[in-house]
Amino acid sequence: MKIVKAIVRPNKVDDVKDALSQNGVSGMTVTEVRGHGRQRGHSTVYRGSEYEVSLLPKIEIEVVVPDALVDDAINAIMKAARTGEIGDGRVFVIPVEQGLIIRTGEEDVV
Amino acid sequence: MLKEALATARDELVSQTRLAYGGLFAVRQYAARLDEIITRIHLAAQKLTETPHALVAVGGYGRRHMCLHSDVDLLMVFDGAIGAAEKRAVKAVLHPLWDLRLDIGHQVRELGDTATVDTDNPEYLIALRDARFVAGDKTVFERFSDVCIREGAALEEPTLAALRDLVGQRHTQFQHTLYQLEPDIKDAPGALRDVSAIRLIAALDRQAQPLKFRAGRLNEAEDFMLRIRSILHLERGRNLNVLTHELQETVASAFGSPGEKPHTQVGALMSTYFHHARIISRGLASTVAPRPQTPPPDPVPVGDGLVGREHQISFLDGTRASLQPHLWLGAFEAALDHDSEVSDQVLTCIERHGDRYSPERFFPGKAERDRLLRVLRPRPGLYARLSEMHASGLLGRMFPEFQKIYCHVIRDFYHKYTVDEHTLLTIRNLERLGDPKTPGRRRFGGLFAELDRPELLVTALVFHDVGKWTNRNHCEEGVRMAETALRRIRMPEPDIANVSFLIRHHLQMSTAAFRRDSGDPEVVEQLARLVGTEERLKQLCLMTLVDVEAVGPDVMTPWKEDLLWRLYVDTYNRLTLGYGDDVIDPAATSLEALLETLPPDITQTDLDAFLEGLPRRYLRTVDPKQVYDHVRLGRDLGPSDVHCSLGRDLADSVRELTVVSVDQPKLYAKVCGVLSYFGMDILRGQAMSNTHGVALDVFQFTDAEQFLGQNASAESELIHRLQEVVAGREDIDRTLAPKQRGLARRRSPHIKVVVHVDNQYSDRFSIIEIIASNAWGLLYRISRVISDHDSNIDLVLISTEGDRAIDVFHLTRNGGKLTGAETDSLRDALLEALAAADAP
Repeated sequence: MKIVKAIVRPNKVDDVKDALSQNGVSGMTVTEVRGHGRQRGHSTVYRGSEYEVSLLPKIEIEVVVPDALVDDAINAIMKAARTGEIGDGRVFVIPVEQGLIIRTGEEDVV
Repeated sequence: MLKEALATARDELVSQTRLAYGGLFAVRQYAARLDEIITRIHLAAQKLTETPHALVAVGGYGRRHMCLHSDVDLLMVFDGAIGAAEKRAVKAVLHPLWDLRLDIGHQVRELGDTATVDTDNPEYLIALRDARFVAGDKTVFERFSDVCIREGAALEEPTLAALRDLVGQRHTQFQHTLYQLEPDIKDAPGALRDVSAIRLIAALDRQAQPLKFRAGRLNEAEDFMLRIRSILHLERGRNLNVLTHELQETVASAFGSPGEKPHTQVGALMSTYFHHARIISRGLASTVAPRPQTPPPDPVPVGDGLVGREHQISFLDGTRASLQPHLWLGAFEAALDHDSEVSDQVLTCIERHGDRYSPERFFPGKAERDRLLRVLRPRPGLYARLSEMHASGLLGRMFPEFQKIYCHVIRDFYHKYTVDEHTLLTIRNLERLGDPKTPGRRRFGGLFAELDRPELLVTALVFHDVGKWTNRNHCEEGVRMAETALRRIRMPEPDIANVSFLIRHHLQMSTAAFRRDSGDPEVVEQLARLVGTEERLKQLCLMTLVDVEAVGPDVMTPWKEDLLWRLYVDTYNRLTLGYGDDVIDPAATSLEALLETLPPDITQTDLDAFLEGLPRRYLRTVDPKQVYDHVRLGRDLGPSDVHCSLGRDLADSVRELTVVSVDQPKLYAKVCGVLSYFGMDILRGQAMSNTHGVALDVFQFTDAEQFLGQNASAESELIHRLQEVVAGREDIDRTLAPKQRGLARRRSPHIKVVVHVDNQYSDRFSIIEIIASNAWGLLYRISRVISDHDSNIDLVLISTEGDRAIDVFHLTRNGGKLTGAETDSLRDALLEALAAADAP
């Protein structure tokens, strides 16, 4: 079981959700986040004053999938979220030791 | 035996609930059954202790408002120390109740302790006020009452304070509105807890107003709420009190609400719900209002037929006022102007007589229309006054279009309020931008402060969702309805066009910001083309912010604010910095709107020749009539000729000067110099030239020294001087020199000077953006410095926001951009010139 965590552009969240759903991944956690990559954001000017926009709004999507579905999930996210421009985001895979269902107390076998 | 007794009592309540009769009578009856059961349990328990004690019902149980799954709140008071025997007695009461699966809340106290005010437990203080003897020693209960409940008792003041705090906190959770789409029947504003608060405040607070409305209406409202609550308990099997969308259908069906389809029945149910909630809400408001002074102060005249007293506006003669509906809006205007409320006398008059009058009766002339626009200027108190206008029915009478969304329900996950309340909340959110609390909101507060006509934005907000009464595209339907309403009150067509634009496109910026890649230049370009001007961009941006925020709590997050702000900045820059690269090519640009109404004296060739090479922005900022006037001014121009026209806008305080001439070096500086000579304060404007070398400069200015206003020959003098200066027959620099010192002495509040150079944004131009204190002669000084540096001024955008001048120049030198060294030198020279002007 793995957590697949993706940080994507805000406008890509619906595409990523649909792509995951089509690959059999339904449960997910979506969070509004801010961040930057190696480029450290950019600067912009408004009314003659320059200001840094170093933390850009992004969306973080986390799904927990069985090992057999990890590659499918990654491919779905990459395809749906990519524009080819700087700022497309990242995907990470994190191992999960254990998962439990709060309502029943049972072990979560994803 | 106890189980059977409880089962019988519950069955009784369930049968009544299924018929939607689980109101006051039924819940009291169930409470009485519970009393009997608890009394029987106590008979056995009391033998375990010799200490006199009383079993007391408190809270909802004390009030006898027991729904199926309400908590049974009990207090055991012992007249003596609580030892082992007393604890056994307590258990002997509680255990059988737990075995019956009742939800028990319990407290155990010694009588001596009850005199010590427990201010850390406000709910307990309030629950005590409903204390009722159930079983045990009545003397103990009476002594307990003497301490806790009777008049003059020490706990009254802390109880009142605790109650007011709790009401405030509770209302804050629900955004202080009763118009919840899924209301909590117990806790929401206008629901059951407010009824209890009304009765308690009226009983405790000697300063409180006596209950001003019939107690019967309050009882009826309470009964209605309890009937719903009983059904919720039955359906959900727990003490859950939110009337969800799903349960609204069940409740509507149980009530037998009229309508063939479920959504019609739900509409009828919720309409009744909000009716009763409003009664409760108004009751609470009038109960907490301070009692009028005795004797009351003299009323003070505040307007036509209006008086003010103790922060309330009333009609001087209510009977006469009832026959003059066109004056009613004046009461709300006076309330806003004097930071007051509108009195019950006014609201009652409107409620009683409003349905006599057609919408036209409220706006017989221009004065009434102008009054409406003054009322709609966003400022503290506007939301409250509009809510009063809506609740009294005035808003719906003036605008039946708005009445269409009265208590209209939108059933989706995100929307929390009825459409009419959502509309009013957008205006409340705009009002709050006048005093923004966070750094994020201060950005938008700045835009709000810069709006030219904020009342037009408020008008657009009033109508932006009226189209939701149908299933059609609500934006287009809203435009149709708004235009009907605004034409009826004879609003000027340009204002109607502004309002219609905002209604039609009010979803576009949120779509671009939150659903598209707002960093994509194409998205920015599309938005820039849509809005056309900075003013419309600001209006749309603010409309988006307040609209999303009014959908529900936490919908507009700081994260979304950042996205919206980024899009605003990028679009603003596109409009002001990037517009020069987007020019009119008559062969490729659609000029249908202009060609359709082309006057007979202008040919298409004339039009094409004039427009070719002008920035496309020009077509978005002028109407066809202005274009034709400019074409005529551009005819038969000699090399030194100046053709101009001097107009006056509808506000009668801002003049517009249009100057058309053959482009020449230092032309712009010369024109600015002439205007400075006559003391004109330039507020806005733009300058451009077409492919054929015809320069068009448009200035909007105020005649601060009344030169034009007070001199019959002033216009011709100004135009003559302009012609002399442009033709080179007069040196404006020399003419202005003696006045320079005088101009510099008229200082405006200091604004930090910013000169920002951008050589990247445009493919064709070097762009200089200058922020400085608005001062006479500012544009002249800037354009002279630029001209002295051998730079050509191709495009200019002038705007003024309060004391701040924001001017954007698009420059070239020898047909191309300036080099880095040239822009550095120019920036330094501008900073020096502007600093010198600011020096004392």
